[in-house]
Amino acid sequence: MADTTVLRKDQLEISLHNEKKLIKEGTIKDDNPLDLSEPFRELCSACRRGDLKVCQEKITEGVNVNARDLYDYTPLILASLCGHYEVAQLLLESGALCERDTFQGERCLYNALNDRIRNLLLEYDYSKSTDPLQPLAAHIASLLTRESPVTTDITVAVADQEIALHKFILAARSPYFRAKLAPAPETTTWKLPSTTPPEAFAAAIRYLYLGEAPRELRSGPGTGFTESEVFTGIDKISKHLEIESLMDSLLDSGDRRRARQRRTVELGKGRDQFEEWFRENVLGNRVVIETSKVDEVKWDRNNAIFADVLLRADELPDEDDGATDEVPKSTLFPCHRAMLLRSEFFQAMFTSSFREAHIKDQLHIIDVDCAPDVLEIILTFLYTERADFPLEIAVDVLFAADMLFIEKLKTKAAVVISTLGSGVSQSEAARTRGTKDEDDIDIYAIIRAAWLTRVQRLEEFAARFLAYRLEAHIDSPEFAELINESAARIQARQETDSIELLDDIRFYLNERFRLRFDDAGLDELMEEQPPIAQSEDIGEITEGVEAMNVAKSTPATTSLDALTLQSNGYTREIRTLDGAIVEDEFDEDAMNYQILLEKLDALLERLNLDA
Amino acid sequence: MAAMRARHKIRAPRRVREVEVATAPTEDFDTLWGVLSSSLIEIHTKNASTLSFEELYRNAYRMVLMMRGDDLYERVKTLEENWLRDHVRKQVTDSILPILVRAQNPQSITDVQDQSNERRAAGERFLAVLKEAWSDHLLCMGMITDVLMYMDRIISADRTKPSILVVSMILFRNHVLRAPVRPDSDITVAHVFESTVLFMIQLERTGHIIDRPLIRNCMYMLEGLYETVAEEESSNLYLTTFEPAFLSTSREFYKEEGARLLEVGDAATFCRIASQRIAEESERSRYTLVTATEPKIGEVLNNELIRKNIEEVVRLEGTGVRHMLDQNQLDGLRIVYTLNARVDEKKSALTGEVSKRIVELGSEINASSIAPPQAPSATEKDPGGDKKEKAKEREKAVNPQTASAIKWVDDILALKRQFDQMWEKCFQSDQNLHKSIEDSFEDFINRNTRSSEYLSLFFDENLKKGIKGKTEDEVDALLDNGITLLRYIKDKDLFETYYKKHLARRLLMKRSASMDAERQMISKMKMEVGNQFTQRIEAMFKDMTVSEDLSVNYKEHIARSADPDQKRIDLDIHILTSTMWPMDAMVKARDGQVQLPCIFPREVDNLRQSFEKFYLDKHSGRKLSWQASMGSADIRATFQRSNGKTQRFELNVSTYMMVILLLFNDIPDGESLTFEEIKERTCIPEYDLIRNLQSLAVAPKTRVLKKEPMSKDVKPTDRFFFNNDFQSPFVKVRIGVVAGGANKVENQDQRKETEKKMNDERGGSIEAAIVRIMKQRKKLGHTGLMNEVLTQLSSRFVPDVNMVKKRIESLIDREYLERLEDEPATYGYIA
Repeated sequence: MADTTVLRKDQLEISLHNEKKLIKEGTIKDDNPLDLSEPFRELCSACRRGDLKVCQEKITEGVNVNARDLYDYTPLILASLCGHYEVAQLLLESGALCERDTFQGERCLYNALNDRIRNLLLEYDYSKSTDPLQPLAAHIASLLTRESPVTTDITVAVADQEIALHKFILAARSPYFRAKLAPAPETTTWKLPSTTPPEAFAAAIRYLYLGEAPRELRSGPGTGFTESEVFTGIDKISKHLEIESLMDSLLDSGDRRRARQRRTVELGKGRDQFEEWFRENVLGNRVVIETSKVDEVKWDRNNAIFADVLLRADELPDEDDGATDEVPKSTLFPCHRAMLLRSEFFQAMFTSSFREAHIKDQLHIIDVDCAPDVLEIILTFLYTERADFPLEIAVDVLFAADMLFIEKLKTKAAVVISTLGSGVSQSEAARTRGTKDEDDIDIYAIIRAAWLTRVQRLEEFAARFLAYRLEAHIDSPEFAELINESAARIQARQETDSIELLDDIRFYLNERFRLRFDDAGLDELMEEQPPIAQSEDIGEITEGVEAMNVAKSTPATTSLDALTLQSNGYTREIRTLDGAIVEDEFDEDAMNYQILLEKLDALLERLNLDA
Repeated sequence: MAAMRARHKIRAPRRVREVEVATAPTEDFDTLWGVLSSSLIEIHTKNASTLSFEELYRNAYRMVLMMRGDDLYERVKTLEENWLRDHVRKQVTDSILPILVRAQNPQSITDVQDQSNERRAAGERFLAVLKEAWSDHLLCMGMITDVLMYMDRIISADRTKPSILVVSMILFRNHVLRAPVRPDSDITVAHVFESTVLFMIQLERTGHIIDRPLIRNCMYMLEGLYETVAEEESSNLYLTTFEPAFLSTSREFYKEEGARLLEVGDAATFCRIASQRIAEESERSRYTLVTATEPKIGEVLNNELIRKNIEEVVRLEGTGVRHMLDQNQLDGLRIVYTLNARVDEKKSALTGEVSKRIVELGSEINASSIAPPQAPSATEKDPGGDKKEKAKEREKAVNPQTASAIKWVDDILALKRQFDQMWEKCFQSDQNLHKSIEDSFEDFINRNTRSSEYLSLFFDENLKKGIKGKTEDEVDALLDNGITLLRYIKDKDLFETYYKKHLARRLLMKRSASMDAERQMISKMKMEVGNQFTQRIEAMFKDMTVSEDLSVNYKEHIARSADPDQKRIDLDIHILTSTMWPMDAMVKARDGQVQLPCIFPREVDNLRQSFEKFYLDKHSGRKLSWQASMGSADIRATFQRSNGKTQRFELNVSTYMMVILLLFNDIPDGESLTFEEIKERTCIPEYDLIRNLQSLAVAPKTRVLKKEPMSKDVKPTDRFFFNNDFQSPFVKVRIGVVAGGANKVENQDQRKETEKKMNDERGGSIEAAIVRIMKQRKKLGHTGLMNEVLTQLSSRFVPDVNMVKKRIESLIDREYLERLEDEPATYGYIA
């Protein structure tokens, strides 16, 4: 009774009502807005099915992962309820909120199908997760205090205070500076009206650099300015620099939730400004030129977009049409070192005493060992935190990000490959048994890339991919070679270690069949595909089976005559992988599982490997 | 649907294609390595600014992607190894001049000045080259590590190999620092480096100025290198090689320095240099070497320079602590204390010397008080020439012995003050030293058998005169000083005896300057020694107040009842409880002589009877015995001048004097009384009579009687006349009793007597204690009993063991105790 921390029901209702009112008035935003659009519906149904690919596609399209449907389900609740671990992980990584002590958050947790998902959700509790744009903001804010390497190119003075700043940031964020600096890119100092209190100016600069709003402004005795003077100053400077929302960002810092939302909005806006500026100036000013003529390109240090370095990416001659007359082309991107510093590679480069670190009147042209489109992706990420790219170049991005030490982009590339690459949903894949022409991706290339770039997640993805389509791969020499390579990787470390890839495949194989055992019957009921398609599939399977080299040591299965099974009103024949006919699907699965495991063992024996 | 899928067809990753192409021909790897290796050499030759980071990085990156990261790692390692061996090592060894190699022993060469200069120059050159080589190495390796960043990531992910930076540090250690100086020599660069730095330090110790930053930089190098791959902090080369060498040479050096300084034999110099060295070494650790060495070198100094020598230094004849104490060399003492405290928590060397000196000085004070110098008393009398009157007034009671007693106390207090000051200023109020100083004082004070008496006299003197004109605070401080000494005195009972005796005189003769001061004194004693100690003294004060009331009551009684015609005599009476007061001391009974009561003149005797009646009416059963020797009287004397005039004086005399003078009322003018007649008529004890007559007839200022023949001594045959020619500038004349009226030092006989009494009293205390203990314990072993007795009595005095034994025997005889037969050396209590 004395417990005041728990609100009485009427109080709770009042607060909910107030919140709704505020949301209606537009003061605060609803964390989980109702969304009845078609793309969101598709996302939800993909979450129900566990279709990673569609999920990723929808997220890339920009569907709000935190919205809710008619029945107050959010995609995360659905994924967690239906037990799709990978989907839940993808949603969380894409910014889905699962905050304890909120209605939707607790629903996620209670609905989680198993402990694995529940623990995943707890890991992402809001207190730990941050705004996805925070790394970008943190980097830009850190530029204000970074001492080495020097990337600033303008000194802005207010009264007797001077701050070294970046022209491109000023131009991107403040229309005032954009207008003033564009015609005179060589400017190195700028004076603002001296009546501005330094505190107000500092707040403005912090705002421009996406810094957090200060808890309180320093004023009163000692600073020489009263609080109201500082606020007037801020008001004035925000008008002067044309950054109207500066004042709001300072005034809102009282309420936590509102401050958070405000910050999210501000960051989003800031990012958009950067993006706009980036697309217009950096991408807009890219130079495509014949590779042989690259050295003739001269960019003066004083250029209208304040670039201080040129990045070069060469197009590779397309292998397919070997002897083309096309002259190899290169693309040059004018960039800003301040942003490139987000990559450890560039940071080492610009702080070292190598050639690239010396400042000259002509901008350096720095070769980046990747294709122009990949470089564009990388730059986009560095400038805007956006990482949306198609599967085709995902592996290239992965390699480039690895080379340049951009961990987040690397992860992102891995996510793209493992979601978009997974094709249809896993259960469907298992049903088709990998025999369909869905080799969108060269899984062997991907697993090797995973090894080279040391991305665990991708290794797991590849193992799962293979496990669900093992029938198609088990007998190919390529697969054997892959196993061999995996073993070699480990042998370098320890003689008796297990083969990682094989262990992973076994794990997912187990998962695959267990899944089938569990929900096979349910599947039947849920099946909406026409039966004809089913029989077609089966036919294909049988074909595939016949084409296969069956291993010798298969267990002697009962040589039963073909049984007819009455199911859903149609008859079908069930055979195992080695052609034996079994009673029903369950037996079939059990036997297939056995057969696949034995094949793996046989493979090991052939390769003379110990595992 | 199929078309849609096709859109997702992944582009064959360009990198993978490259790898596949590249793995086949290894010459591609070699080409890449060719480019990279020549660039690495460029970096080493400081041509890096023309190199492209991107290109080098890309080369290294490609090699790693070819799965040849390990090869690359090994090749870089070899390249670095070669570079260090062929270039850096040569550079460094070339800078080592033969003189540096020859002089491996840092001490041997410092003596020869020329060589020393040469060696120093060579050494600085060598260190500079080494430092340069190190900083180049650091710089280049920084750049190379940047270039090989990708490789390092892969390698460190494996955790089986150290990073390339660590490897390069190991290589530097092995191929530069641990390389032989000459191909055939087994002296390494590290040896020369070590001896050179130690030589420099040696130079600095002998007063030269050396290039500290240079050495510091070299130390940074050692700190940056490790014995192990894991690079634990404890395995850096500074700690494993240089520091031990530095400490051991320092040990040698300070051993010698200590011996040398002792030979010089001046404690002050030793201390000064030692503390200088301490400061120097800590500065060296902080600014030339490594801060972590500071405590270690401090320990070396403690061991070699201080611990081994401090005792001798303290005892050095003529300059040691004794000298410093005598000369009040506070700075010296302070340093000695600091040094001693560094090595010995108890500071036993210093403590021993200080207490020795205190006891010495104390014994001197004791000696000078026991044999009172005649000189002071002579000088006291000499200046008395012109200020005779005043001097006499003031000092009539102070005889040389008393003066020396007071001087003894003053001297001790001065000594105490001196040492307290030193203790505070030089010894940082150290507890150990405090205790030893206290012990030393206690020691020598108790060696003086008369300390209790002297102290009591000191109080007596001060309470009578000393405190006049002093503020309360001053009085307080004075008494506190005395109390401090009281604390040291072991035989507090003896002190009590004296104090009571002296107090009794002060009270009865109204000599006390301030009753407040007296009370203050008692409360101080109470605090210091305890309640029991002051009980009897307080009882004395109580008697005094009771007596005052009694006198008033008696006066009222007389006023009511007495015949108004009667010539009244005012009576001020003190009734003393005989057990509380030191009666015997006051009565001064001569060996077994029976003391006859003094015969009072008639008027006085009437008064006595009247009072006795009054008092016994009130308190029946009590016995009053009159102590005329302690009383005083105011009488009015009329002198018949030869010119017929009469002159009156008011005389303040002792009771005995009053009795004597009243005799002359009864005889006609001009008649005389012989000594014998007076003695017969008054029954005044001879001793007192002599003294009183001396006051009346010999003392020049107060000669109320004439004596025949005139001489200083009073003999039984002398005749006395009333002196009508008595003259005095004052109407009121106070006639003191010559010698004895005041408290003074006892002579030998008195002392013996006191001691005897003391012993009797102690015997009583001891017996009481024994009985108390045994009654409680019923049965106790001999040693146990002895210990108990000693502890119980220690607050009052230190009982003599033999005396305790005797008392036990006597108690057994009197059947208070018994020896238990079955248990040897155990006593039982007989109820």
